[in-house]
Amino acid sequence: MTSPSQAAAAGAGGSSPLDPLNITPDGGGDSGKLVGRSPGQLMWRRFKRDRTGVISAFIVLFFLLVAVAAPLISKLYGKDPTTTYGLDRPGLLNEFGYPIRPNGGISGDFWFGIEPTLGRDVFTQLVYGIRTSLLIAAIATLLCVATGVLIGVTAGYIGGRTDYFLGRFIDLLLAFPSQLSFVAFTPVVYSLFVSPEKETPTYLRVMTLILVLWLLGWMGMARLLRGQVLSLREREFVEAAKVTGASPWRIITKELLPNLWTPILVQTTLMLPTMVTVEAGLSFLGVGIVEPTPDWGRMFKAGADYYESDLTYIFFPGIAMIIFVVAFNLLGDSVRDAFDPKTNR
Amino acid sequence: MLRFLARRSLGALVIILLISAITFFLFFALPSEPALMSCGKNCTPDALAVINKNLGLDQPVPVQYWHYMTGIFAGRDLTVGHCPAPCFGYSFSNQQPVWGTIVDRYPTTLSLALGGAFVFLIVGVGFGMIAAARRGTVVDKLFSSLSLIGNSLQIYFVGVIALGLFVSGGLRILDEPGYHPFTENPGKWFMGMLLPWLVLSIIFVANYTRMTRSQMIEQLGEEHVRTARAKGLSRRAVFFRYAWRGALAPIVTIFGIDLGSLFGGAMITEFTFNLHGLGRLAVSSVTETDLPTLMAVMLVGCTAIVVANIIVDAAYAFIDPRVRLA
Amino acid sequence: MTSSHQNRARLAAVALAAGALVLTACSGGGGGGGDGKESGPATDKNKSSNFTIGTEADSKGPAPAVPGAKKGGAVTVLQRDAFNHLDPGQIYYSDMLTAQMLYNRSLTAYKVEPSGKAKVVGDLATGPGTASDGGKTWTFKLKDGLKFQDGSPITSKDVRWGIERLYADFETDGPMYIPQWLSGDGTSFRKALPDGPYKGDHLPASVLDTPDDKTVILHFRKPHADTPFATAMPNIGAVKAAKDTQRKYDNAPFSSGPYQVADFKVGKSLTLVKNPNWDPATDPIRHQYADRFDVSFGHQLQDQTRRILAQQGADKNAMSFSNAVDPGMTQNVLNDAGTKARRFVEIQPYVDYISFNMTRLKDVKVRKALAYAMPNGQILQQNGGTTAGTIATNYLSPAMDGYQATDPYGKKAHPAGDTEKAQALLKEAGKIGQEIVYAYRNTDVEQKVAVVVTQALQKAGFTVQKKEVDANTWRTAISQVDNKFDIYRTSWGADWPVPSTVVPPLFDGRQIADGSQNYGHLDNPKVNSEIDRINAITDIKQAAPQWMKLADKILTEDVPGIPTFYNRQFSLWGSGLGGIKYQPVYGTVDPTSVYVK
Repeated sequence: MTSPSQAAAAGAGGSSPLDPLNITPDGGGDSGKLVGRSPGQLMWRRFKRDRTGVISAFIVLFFLLVAVAAPLISKLYGKDPTTTYGLDRPGLLNEFGYPIRPNGGISGDFWFGIEPTLGRDVFTQLVYGIRTSLLIAAIATLLCVATGVLIGVTAGYIGGRTDYFLGRFIDLLLAFPSQLSFVAFTPVVYSLFVSPEKETPTYLRVMTLILVLWLLGWMGMARLLRGQVLSLREREFVEAAKVTGASPWRIITKELLPNLWTPILVQTTLMLPTMVTVEAGLSFLGVGIVEPTPDWGRMFKAGADYYESDLTYIFFPGIAMIIFVVAFNLLGDSVRDAFDPKTNR
Repeated sequence: MLRFLARRSLGALVIILLISAITFFLFFALPSEPALMSCGKNCTPDALAVINKNLGLDQPVPVQYWHYMTGIFAGRDLTVGHCPAPCFGYSFSNQQPVWGTIVDRYPTTLSLALGGAFVFLIVGVGFGMIAAARRGTVVDKLFSSLSLIGNSLQIYFVGVIALGLFVSGGLRILDEPGYHPFTENPGKWFMGMLLPWLVLSIIFVANYTRMTRSQMIEQLGEEHVRTARAKGLSRRAVFFRYAWRGALAPIVTIFGIDLGSLFGGAMITEFTFNLHGLGRLAVSSVTETDLPTLMAVMLVGCTAIVVANIIVDAAYAFIDPRVRLA
Repeated sequence: MTSSHQNRARLAAVALAAGALVLTACSGGGGGGGDGKESGPATDKNKSSNFTIGTEADSKGPAPAVPGAKKGGAVTVLQRDAFNHLDPGQIYYSDMLTAQMLYNRSLTAYKVEPSGKAKVVGDLATGPGTASDGGKTWTFKLKDGLKFQDGSPITSKDVRWGIERLYADFETDGPMYIPQWLSGDGTSFRKALPDGPYKGDHLPASVLDTPDDKTVILHFRKPHADTPFATAMPNIGAVKAAKDTQRKYDNAPFSSGPYQVADFKVGKSLTLVKNPNWDPATDPIRHQYADRFDVSFGHQLQDQTRRILAQQGADKNAMSFSNAVDPGMTQNVLNDAGTKARRFVEIQPYVDYISFNMTRLKDVKVRKALAYAMPNGQILQQNGGTTAGTIATNYLSPAMDGYQATDPYGKKAHPAGDTEKAQALLKEAGKIGQEIVYAYRNTDVEQKVAVVVTQALQKAGFTVQKKEVDANTWRTAISQVDNKFDIYRTSWGADWPVPSTVVPPLFDGRQIADGSQNYGHLDNPKVNSEIDRINAITDIKQAAPQWMKLADKILTEDVPGIPTFYNRQFSLWGSGLGGIKYQPVYGTVDPTSVYVK
């Protein structure tokens, strides 16, 4: 099955040639050459004029910064995500393990309140959770993009039997009910890595999740690029390069790839937030990162357990995630517009 | 058309077979002991061996796979009794025929998927068309921003908040979500599914609004539509007769695919609202290492996806005569 | 017995009884400041002194009428986990144990008084049984007027059939005390009657004798003073041969109690209706007030609690046999004054431990340091707090005969662990920094418990390696004798409130084997011989205090583990129901006298 976000991504990810997101008018690159500026410069100039885009870019940067600088933030703020303040200091949690102060125990000391039962600081939990989730999502996205580009371009450029078999392979992977497969296969992948005796290092868990997200995440990109390459292959400048005897490698890197940057970049900005939400969904279903490593997604699961007595708790990870995804989507739109001012938006 | 269907069906069958095989063999890579499920408190190695034999787990994996797959069409005789076709085996965890469980759970999944799809299709397409018709106005901007936010909402967040606000806590205005058979009490069925439908659709609506809007705008710019307008047809007629038809095809495509995946079970929604459909069954089959159930859910899920794809492609040719089925 | 666990943990939990509902969802009750003392759990009624063996007079029906009880109405029962067995021979979990009380009668059973006192009385039998041959032979006489749901009389042949079918290979899930005592330990008893009674063979009269229609005689291989308790397990009852559908009996058992199965949808619902052929005059325990019990499954603790709290429509008559109030909603329930008359919090016979693997932790000082350092209070907090349990101070549950409130490691005074004592001991042993491999089942609650345990041990000077184990393989993993873990959570629920069902299985060194309950691998010859000595005492009342003494000796000298908390059952029911009481042996709600107001 597919989570809505995935369905959205599948829709956007080009399982059909009809999705508006995938329609890239011919050769943004060519028009750029006419003016004598590189497409990159043009794009940058247009992007800078798009106020929404700039703001969302800042928000996205802010999240990335939070992720990278989590230890610094925690140091400045004076708390860490692992200390069980509520258990160590009396007066924070009541006998049932819930914050005594209203609104989840928000105070000058604990900006986002205290986690019920374990009594950890929600703010640092979230900061470090974002760090974990973004790390996983970013690496998985990079791998998916790389694989998608590799397979899509190969299939499109070589064509013939290779294209056919790669296409069927993609069909096969797309037919896996994705979320069910995540849930079913994550334990299998864990068992491949995990030593039965020693503590499972967190990086192994992270790698497992990345691997699973990667295996079933790259097909949309590959399909999209295959279609793009198929149409580009017939174009004069590629034909010309072929006639002059350029090697396939040269044609791919010098002629095709420069024309593919737009869809790649747009798809990447859409894929990253999707990966974050899918990873969170896995944690919600109980196959994600385990305690004590803070994790954004697991906070939703915890929130679902606590909401009857502490509804405040789930708002922090929830609102942070909405802001993050909105910013990323807006950024994606702006990037597309900047590359390609003709799109009807 | 027939040739197309035959060819695609064959392809689909191959895909389903491959997926079932992958699932089956990967399952045995799991570090688990399914027999433990039905071995009591004083479980000894002997007792385990007996149960393994009863479950057929003492045979080589390929043999087990063969028996499982042939059983679907031919039925099979198990130690627990005869299992008529379609036989998806007996569950490792409750020793009941898996097919019975699937049949039992499916109405929930179906209700959730159909009801949710109805809401998000109507609302999403409606919003999209209004936005397209009022392009550039406040309404358009409002819908665009709403869809943007909707697009970023997650069921595990919105669902929990909705439960906290409307079902428990201050406002007790909605019934406890749950599935009540439609045939027994349609009113209860509706009230029990209402919140899950709404929350599920919030997330989809955004996508449909965006898509409908951009498709309509694009279509309105197309030559044949402009010609029709030039010929003096009313704006309204053009909008609904020409532009709408052109915009329909891509919407149907995405809708088919979304519905196909929902028919396989919506795990997070089912978990959030405590519904017992296929999604929940799937998760429990994984945690209980209940292979026959996991296989059945996987087969239902991927069949739904593959069939949806075929139908979408066929329907697409139907709606848009320019497309030829190869 | 084992209380029903988190959906999937069922299996993994098998031996690790306890914990029950606590393991679900989150933990920690809720909010609202510190007034919980007053509205919180009352004094526990479930104490060791409550358990006695009744007389023939106690065993006579009918059961004393419940004041104010009315006839008629339907009781809604909300359960989280689906019953996977109805066959009394396969039942071992507290939720199903409770349900079978309504449709199944055993040779003996527990008569629970509203005060919480429980007596073992004759149920099908006229009394708790009479011993002869030094406790090796037990004779039960059946009452007059016993009938199955079709009106046919229940005879000793039906009881024999009920016992003999336990020898068939499909009967794997239930407790096997009686067959093992009769025919052989472990699974070897099955060799005495490999196909059960189904191929016409029967156990010889020298083992199981039915000289006439009213008499059942059990000839054990060794004396067993606690036979009346063992025959109170649901599988020592009557099964009519003509109605025994073997495996399929699990879906349609033939009733001998006040209710019979009208409809059972596996995984979904169970409807019990009145059995017209049940004669109240024969039954000292059960009533037949309500017309129906509508049991449905799949209700998570949150929505079950919410429904019973809101009491809309049929939920006014709703209860749960075994599900507790959701730990996240404890506050909502306790702060609602209207729930005072419709809730209870009672001690269950389940105890949670952290076992120390003595094969690996050979230094007793290290084990003692672990025992001191263990943060019992914090562990309990993660499991749901005061309504989910109370801090354990020694191996025996307060609900166990002979229990005394000893506290050798000062757990009451140091709920977060006695770090200083632990540190001192570790220093004395010269093992500061000792590595401890802590294995835990990978569930939400256990992950949180791991956080507090790790912290406490680190403070005391240990280095902790946390090893999460998949919930499915957990039980096999820790019950391997050569496992590579140092400490792990275990738990034990005694099958009846006599310490002989606790100390020998947990601490007898001769039992150590893969799959046994001696998780700490204690093998002390002195302890073993002491176990034999106390086991030979035929008066269980006399044996009880000696078991207690032995358990404390083990706890202070051998330290194969430290108890963490005694489980509690926190039940809530709709205001439309009356006659609800606690079943102290199963740790659940006793449904036998429930009526609709």
